[in-house]
Amino acid sequence: MTGATTTERAELLEMTRDVARRELLPRAAALDAGEGAVLADCWRQLVEIGLDRALLSEEHEGSELGIPDLLAAIEELAVGDGGVAMCVLLCNAALATLAPGQLAASFAGARWALVPVRSGAEVTITHGKLDGRVTSALGAHSADGLVLAIEGDQPTTIGIVAGTPGLEPERDEAQMGLRAAPAASIVLAGVTAPSAIAATGDGARDATAALALLRAGTAAIARGIARRAYEMAFEYAQARRQGGAAIIEHDAVSDMLAAMAVRLRCGPRLATDSSQIAIGAAQALAAKVAATDAAVASTTDAVQIFGGTGYMRETGIEKLMRDAKYCQLFPEPNWVAEDELMGWERADRNDGSCRRCGFER
Amino acid sequence: MTSITAERSLREQFPRLVAGRSPIGGGRLDVRELERLRARARRFADEQVRPRALEIDLRTGEDPSWFDWDLVRAGGEQGMLSFLIPKPAGGTGGLATQAAVVMEELCAACPGIALIFGAHALGVSPLLLGGPSQWDGVLAELVGSERTGEPLLMACAITEPEAGTDVEDPDLLARARITSHARRVPGGFRLSGTKRFISNGSVARWITLLMPTDPRRPAETWTCFLLDARSEGFAVSRVEHKMGQRACPAAELTFDEVFVPAERVVGREGDGAAATMIVLACSRPPVGAIATGIARGAYERLLAWLQEDRAARGLLERQHVQLALAGMEEEIHLARQMYMDAATELDHTALGGVMSHPAVRALGHVPASVRRRPPVRNWLASDRARDATVALLHRTTSERAVTRSLALSSMAKARGGDVAMRVTGAALELVGLRSGLVRAELEKLWRDAKLTQIYEGTNQLNRTEVYRGLCHGETIHCLPPMQRFRPNGDGTHHAAVDAEGGGA
Repeated sequence: MTGATTTERAELLEMTRDVARRELLPRAAALDAGEGAVLADCWRQLVEIGLDRALLSEEHEGSELGIPDLLAAIEELAVGDGGVAMCVLLCNAALATLAPGQLAASFAGARWALVPVRSGAEVTITHGKLDGRVTSALGAHSADGLVLAIEGDQPTTIGIVAGTPGLEPERDEAQMGLRAAPAASIVLAGVTAPSAIAATGDGARDATAALALLRAGTAAIARGIARRAYEMAFEYAQARRQGGAAIIEHDAVSDMLAAMAVRLRCGPRLATDSSQIAIGAAQALAAKVAATDAAVASTTDAVQIFGGTGYMRETGIEKLMRDAKYCQLFPEPNWVAEDELMGWERADRNDGSCRRCGFER
Repeated sequence: MTSITAERSLREQFPRLVAGRSPIGGGRLDVRELERLRARARRFADEQVRPRALEIDLRTGEDPSWFDWDLVRAGGEQGMLSFLIPKPAGGTGGLATQAAVVMEELCAACPGIALIFGAHALGVSPLLLGGPSQWDGVLAELVGSERTGEPLLMACAITEPEAGTDVEDPDLLARARITSHARRVPGGFRLSGTKRFISNGSVARWITLLMPTDPRRPAETWTCFLLDARSEGFAVSRVEHKMGQRACPAAELTFDEVFVPAERVVGREGDGAAATMIVLACSRPPVGAIATGIARGAYERLLAWLQEDRAARGLLERQHVQLALAGMEEEIHLARQMYMDAATELDHTALGGVMSHPAVRALGHVPASVRRRPPVRNWLASDRARDATVALLHRTTSERAVTRSLALSSMAKARGGDVAMRVTGAALELVGLRSGLVRAELEKLWRDAKLTQIYEGTNQLNRTEVYRGLCHGETIHCLPPMQRFRPNGDGTHHAAVDAEGGGA
């Protein structure tokens, strides 16, 4: 891993930025409307630049990026569309947990999704069979494969290929945000475990690392959404006139823009070491809480700056608000994330391992 | 599951109501009547509105033009279309207090459906300022249509494509980029231009709208008209895709030389800016109530989920959840106190006086058949009678009283909107993504809540009015002037008319 050169990484980031501006932004409304064909087309282009397997080695047709590079790319994608960025995140988090055998069996360009499962109550494994129901799993609808990252007393990851008997994803029609990552309720009715479980050797470590990546990635998506909201609001505030002056001249508006700028400039920065291959669980939790709260505040202010126009779908600004809200709730609501963060913080001051899973900080 | 503060009777919560005076009739406000109105609204909300809220939101999300007339009919059966219409015209004779109480109840069930009735009430409001001349025309028609089960809706059109907040403040209006124009022609006016984001605009039969008769001087010539939506040249050019409150369509309306007869000028030509301020003072407490209802609806759904749903087992034991719930109750209670304070202040000191003035009451006792006779009708519609209405307004209230009332209303509106956003956002965060139906309901309320920070003036504009009216002690020119220059037939403005010369 992390075999990509600095130049290659910079090029990939530039290509990502280009795709986000050229392909995603103009089609954000269609993606928000859940048009599967548009998502499929966008996905093909992301596969072409290697973002579906960003963390994997060349052996597995990956791009060999480090986590900071992937997070930077995800942030750029989120400027174009948060839902598409979420698809990239979920796919990379899922593939990173698969065993080599399963990776080899997965066809190129497949879209996988990591599904966090927070307790054994949602899914049970009895005599090698999986049963249960996981509701509103982002990106799970029409995915080519799912990895269940099960937290709890015995954290583990389980990979399931789409079409496995007993696996039935049902589209969540009421999904409000990040709609390009189509959510589904997953019904597991006696899914045979031997064909489904990836024996990666250390389920707890995999599940914890995957969830940390998911949280850090969600922070990056929130940051991308907040950047876009700031860009749009700033531009609008300069163009829109009221009382004989551009509204950016009014303190009521410039104060909101300033707050947005402060949140962006002082937002959480994750690791800068591009060779990093894992991210701290506590760090990811804290970043996720801070970045998503900031994104909700900024997008809400952005809609306010647009006024009545911002409340209408055609401007695309209210979509950012909905997308940001979903970041705040995924993979868990922020108050639950803060709860978990305290678990890590307390562990840090005691024996160095988390009370939940024993994984080192 | 109901919020405890919403369970208490109005008499218990707001003793001032008992001591207050009724806006119509001049006697003490009949709190029992208000309780009955609230009970009717709550029954309608529980039985008809809440069960259909999600379905209608989904449907109108796909097709914003879709409209549920059955719900309007059902609301009409409960008097939800006539609570603001004066008693002499057949209505309940309420003002801001009644509107606010109804709005909280409906919004706890569905703010989008509630907005249909709220926007209708907003359309009616300018007609109340028109005085007795309006009782036997459209207002009586609205009551009649409600009774026959074929209700007619109203809308109020103020916002323009290039002027939103600007048209809700007299100072900003003077410099606003107004593109509409009501051109004087023999017998009336020709209206041209576009109005945007007009709630009920695509379904209303009658529309009260504001346009300048001289676009170079919008503030001085801002005038209120009553438009028949069947008029030639009027068109609904589009219906917006909104983030929330979707059950009530927001339309763009275009006017292509639409003729409006002179008798359908509401009030006097040029009195529109003052009328707008008074209408906003009247409509902002109900917007505070809309926001309070949204917050209450979210709180009630959250509490029911925590108490009844298997997925929420154990959560109520968490102090985090308990503190969050307590905070929501606090905020909802505060928001309700604020909007009721603003509404009763408005009804008692700003507008109640004119509505309960002996001259107006006396006219209310005159049978409608007599008021409709040509000599009486013509006099009521005359310039002299319009001047008299303005004079009465000046005698029974003051610009300072209306300014203070507007500031209180603005405060209630802005705080209510913030409370609605905070409570719905916090409720959604507590239930998370995995909670099924309640999540969908809370997401809808969160989307709905955002609009309360925007319409009836953004919260920022509202707070500048709080500063002006309360912190700075400023008096806004929010009553029509006693003297009004009347245009000659050739369109030029001339002879001054002394409104004191009139008499009711």
